[in-house]
Amino acid sequence: MTAPSVPVLAYENVRKRFGSFTALNGVSLEVAHGEVVCLIGPSGSGKSTLLRCTNGLETIDGGRILLDGAPLPPDAAGMRRVRRRMGMVFQNFELFPHRTAIANVMSGPLTVLRMPRSEAEHRAETLLDKVGLADKAKSYPADLSGGQQQRVAIARALATEPEVMLFDEPTSALDPETIGEVLGVMKQLADEGMTMVVVTHEMTFARRVANRVAVLERGALVELGPPAQIFEQPQVARTRDFLSHLGWSG
Amino acid sequence: MEIDLDFGPLIASWRFLLGGLGLTLALSALTVLCSLVLGGAVGLARCYGPRWLRWPLVFYIDSMRAIPVLVVLVWGYFALPLVSGVTLPPFWAALAALSVHIAAYVAEIVRAGIESVRPGQTRAALALGMSRAEAVCQVVLPQALVRMLPAFGSILSITIKDTAIASVIAVPEYLNCSQTLAGQSFRPIEVWFVAMAVYFMILFPVTRAVDIAYARLASLGRS
Amino acid sequence: MTLDWAIVWENAGALARGAEITVLLAVATMLLAIPGGVLLALMRLSPVRPLALASAGFTEFFRNLPLLLVIYAAYYILPLTTGISFSPFATALVALALNVSAYNGETFRAGIQSIRKGQSEAALALGMSRAQVMREVVLPQAARRIAPVLASTWVSLFKDTSLVSVIAVGELAYTAMRIRSQSFRVLEMLTAMAAIYWALGYPQAKLTDWLYRRFGVRE
Repeated sequence: MTAPSVPVLAYENVRKRFGSFTALNGVSLEVAHGEVVCLIGPSGSGKSTLLRCTNGLETIDGGRILLDGAPLPPDAAGMRRVRRRMGMVFQNFELFPHRTAIANVMSGPLTVLRMPRSEAEHRAETLLDKVGLADKAKSYPADLSGGQQQRVAIARALATEPEVMLFDEPTSALDPETIGEVLGVMKQLADEGMTMVVVTHEMTFARRVANRVAVLERGALVELGPPAQIFEQPQVARTRDFLSHLGWSG
Repeated sequence: MEIDLDFGPLIASWRFLLGGLGLTLALSALTVLCSLVLGGAVGLARCYGPRWLRWPLVFYIDSMRAIPVLVVLVWGYFALPLVSGVTLPPFWAALAALSVHIAAYVAEIVRAGIESVRPGQTRAALALGMSRAEAVCQVVLPQALVRMLPAFGSILSITIKDTAIASVIAVPEYLNCSQTLAGQSFRPIEVWFVAMAVYFMILFPVTRAVDIAYARLASLGRS
Repeated sequence: MTLDWAIVWENAGALARGAEITVLLAVATMLLAIPGGVLLALMRLSPVRPLALASAGFTEFFRNLPLLLVIYAAYYILPLTTGISFSPFATALVALALNVSAYNGETFRAGIQSIRKGQSEAALALGMSRAQVMREVVLPQAARRIAPVLASTWVSLFKDTSLVSVIAVGELAYTAMRIRSQSFRVLEMLTAMAAIYWALGYPQAKLTDWLYRRFGVRE
């Protein structure tokens, strides 16, 4: 465990290019222990890219990313160890369709942590209960609604006991009725003190749950501050433009 | 190990081989035409025809999936005359046998294409007051045809390859000519290498075009 | 014209042996062509460009040639280039195995690539190694998609074994046609040949249909 003064995640001047397209143009940001940071901004602004660079699904072209003060290791084995300490939740849930819900949640502990089966099973049951799906343990993803699948996905990410949870537009693929159940689980996690970085379009969630909101546009951090500032008194014109585009009236 | 290559006999017989190639292409083109017509008819009959017609058609289609092309060709050339009294020259016997065999695949492609169009489309057309025939011709078939196109392309490829089997019933297409030349010239390596090059140069553009068509269709998405 | 169907029963033994050779040839080919296909797929998917190109070249080569041509070419060229004399069965096996490997390579590659990238990303995000991602997430799903296509390839292979009759391999077609020429019972033997292939092939085709229904892709 880290001393609370060292940020859990630190992005130092992170750059990322895809061919000739610059996705991230020197983004710097710190996420403190227990903090919830929401990344908002127009599509193509680099929010998802930043998240995917955090756990090494994309490699960065410049700058550094640090977890608990240590830079992300360049080698594959080191990166794998780092990923155990982060949990990621995807827009398309990405549950493994050939496994039951509980088997999905056990994937991390069994394969990656090499935990004994009974222990992994116990942990998975506890987590499924936590997200309200204890009765769906033996169901396959195809038999679950979108909201249920995403909650299982959250449980799966929590199973390796990560220090930080990364959410990549977790509710964008959900029907409106089920968005609430997923946001509810995320709020519960935040209240329990989990460090979270959330890319989202759900402004109400950001307003209520985030400690700080980061606005990205075209690969650059445009504004950073508490929700009250961003949503009610934005300092930067581009933030105002973005929010008014969304019809956000505060 | 030394292999000395001598393409002389091949070059000397180029007209002979060209004739064979012409026959391959002619047989392929005619077979594709006949099998498209026959297979299209069978496919449509399977989807929209009277119920009593369906099981004989399904029997025909499934039988062609089970019996090799060679067997159909040989039966068509040697056995059919004994049953029907009609003796067809090798080229036409091959055309008939190949068309009958490949039409079964075409019929399946047509059926799959038609079934891939959502039933709601037919319902909507009928609700507008169209007759069944109008609904099929104006709404279902145009959509189905687009989806069938890549598969038809692979029919072309399969047909060209199957014409080579007609060599077995003495149709003087390209493979047959190559065989003759290989035997006469004692230069099998050269003859067969050129044969492989010729077929490759005909088939490669066709399969490439089919691949591109499949990729285009995938990006178009489904309705 | 008088028909004498007894000729078929008299030669039932020989025909059965021919059918055995057909099955043996098909099985032996698949035993070679499945590992062959796996190798080709791995090469094609590997980041090492020469390997990927070699695999693609091999596959394109065999996809674009009539099988009968490959059989004849193997029959004439193999002994001359390797200096070893191959039995007709061995020649047939080589030709068929090369041909089917090319198709299998494509099947396996397409099956693996059809698994959404997000699936491997989710597995990587949990901390799995590339090998674990393959073993636990990608291959089990790919196998379901590959199974029906592989069955379809098998059915085609079974029929294609008839082509090796031209180089005097004693499988079913060769046996039936040999009896025909010896007995002059053309209609009976050729019809019997067609009927036997039908009897063997029809259930296989139906089984393949079942596999497509059971494991067909639902997107």
